[in-house]
Amino acid sequence: MSVIPQVGAFGAYGGRYAPELLWHALAELADAHRRIVPSPEFQRAFRRELRTWGGRPTPLTEVPSFSALARLRVWLKREDLLHGGAHKTNNVIGQALLAKRLGKRRLVAETGAGQHGVATAMAGARHGLPVTIYMGARDMERQASNVARMKLCGAEVIPVTTGAATLKEAIDDALRDWAATVDDTHYVLGTVCGPDPFPALVRDLQAVIGREARAQCLRQIGELPAAAMACVGGGSNAIGLFSGFVDDDQVKFFGAEPGGSGIASGRHGATLCAGTPGLLHGARSYMLQDKHGQVLDSHSVAAGLDYPAVGPEHSFLKDSGRAEYRAVCDDAALAAVTTLTRSEGILPAIESAHALALCLTAVDDGLLNEGDCVVVNLSGRGDKDLPTLLANLPGEES
Amino acid sequence: MSLARLHEVLCQSRQHVSPFLMLGDPTPDVCVALCRELVAAGASMLELGLPYADPSADGPVVQAAGMRARKAGVSTDEALQTLARVRAACPDTPCNLLVYGNLVHARGYARFCADAVAAGASSLLVPDIPLEEGAVLRRICREHGLGNVLLAGPRTPNKRLAAIAAESDAFVYLAGHQGITGANANMAECRAALVARVRRYIDVPMCVGFGLSSPQHIQEVHGAGAEVAVVGSHLLRVLSHALQEHPGDLAHLLAAVRTAFQQLLPAFRQPKEIPSCS
Repeated sequence: MSVIPQVGAFGAYGGRYAPELLWHALAELADAHRRIVPSPEFQRAFRRELRTWGGRPTPLTEVPSFSALARLRVWLKREDLLHGGAHKTNNVIGQALLAKRLGKRRLVAETGAGQHGVATAMAGARHGLPVTIYMGARDMERQASNVARMKLCGAEVIPVTTGAATLKEAIDDALRDWAATVDDTHYVLGTVCGPDPFPALVRDLQAVIGREARAQCLRQIGELPAAAMACVGGGSNAIGLFSGFVDDDQVKFFGAEPGGSGIASGRHGATLCAGTPGLLHGARSYMLQDKHGQVLDSHSVAAGLDYPAVGPEHSFLKDSGRAEYRAVCDDAALAAVTTLTRSEGILPAIESAHALALCLTAVDDGLLNEGDCVVVNLSGRGDKDLPTLLANLPGEES
Repeated sequence: MSLARLHEVLCQSRQHVSPFLMLGDPTPDVCVALCRELVAAGASMLELGLPYADPSADGPVVQAAGMRARKAGVSTDEALQTLARVRAACPDTPCNLLVYGNLVHARGYARFCADAVAAGASSLLVPDIPLEEGAVLRRICREHGLGNVLLAGPRTPNKRLAAIAAESDAFVYLAGHQGITGANANMAECRAALVARVRRYIDVPMCVGFGLSSPQHIQEVHGAGAEVAVVGSHLLRVLSHALQEHPGDLAHLLAAVRTAFQQLLPAFRQPKEIPSCS
């Protein structure tokens, strides 16, 4: 018998599988999501902040040389140019404004690659809210520059050393912090995962990506694209882009999951391609687990995709056939970083490069026809990845 | 059968102290010996957890206990086998099983409940399947004669407490403070007031846990109207210390945990403090 979530469901996925101690705060947030977020006052403040502090709208950039390599017409949605260097800032601005409306005086967040942590630290500094960030100790090593940026903004960064010491453990500890501090603290969840209302709330705050991209397509290209592509860890940048085209049936959705060392190796984070439905961090969704239901560790060269579950709406989009998900291995993603950097002078985050790699092989894989127009979400810039990228630079002797 | 025994035990006395242990921690054999020891020392109920990799409602001490058990190779099957051995060793002692939702989900609700009852569980607490998401699971539990235990917390509104009590056919588990298990908050006054408030809104037996670590805590919880006080992190800390300080010394381990437990019992009277001669 299948288990159907009752609160905030996306078909058979989602729900609010959270301990009773968080129920009150989640119900309060769900109410705020319904009442406050759509209100004209909130939307005015949110859009003004996105524009004047965040730097929106971000451009839609045509990339002819990269397009020639992909045998497609590729346009990049430039979330790497958003303040902070990734799409995470959209969500964080919205949640910080919401936290203030709810009378919260402190922000807590998890982070993987550090982009969400940086965005939260920046928003906390701007809005006078103290920030505590939980980050896996392993991620703190590989994303050291982002740790420094968080600290410069005045955030407290707490290393998480349990388990694989990556994003999953950081979310566990952020949830534990929040359970004890709900009265005055807002948990700024960074992706479309977690218990209701987070998946829908974060989607609605990231929907600006898709809204802008759709209008830019019509204005700059004169037509809708054949496909929208994005990388998927938790999946917020992908949902943000997809949501703009969800009623345009002719626009196909492709998500690039972290294939790590390959699905067969068992060292990957390709939840939708190789996982099964289960309950993790408050939602029913595809996840990596053993037959007993113990969560398996994920692996990816991209810290921001290194997560053994995925947002429940992606599970729904997969099962309904609306979106297709493919695994992209570490090597292919790293190669795509070099390809874009050298062909277009744009340094993408390794996370985003998973989508670029999928784009480069889409024609050969039969996903798209030669010459099709594609929008790829360039969700973040690669400055944070310099140590990893330099160590993997082709032709460099170490 | 087990649920009936739980009801019987809850009727016999209004002052139970229930240890919480992790099934298979540090090994299945030692876990069974610990349960036997604690029942002999006066535990009239047991709460036993299934080791899980991501126990989001638990503090570091319970997390570490789960990790020890998992290192010893204890998965759901071994944990349920251990439970069956505990029940064989302590046939009159009801066992409340604490399990995170994904372990129940992965096995399938029906199969999990059947297996838990077969192993001797009297009731089931799944901390991350709350009231609204648990209707199907609760129905299956009832079909199998497995009691439902639902969590309540300090922020649970009064009306919701009544709804939670109505679905808890075993007892309500009240978290004595807002947060995770084992936090060492000294919230004596708040806790007693909380227990007394919750008592007014629920008409089923009540168990209180989270951060109880002294005979005063236990007395206060009982005094405010709870039938059961659960002690987890406090005992697990003693267990962990004994494992580190005297590795391999089973007799020492059992004695240390038994002593820590006995010191909490209502019957145990702390020696009166001698006033200092200032």
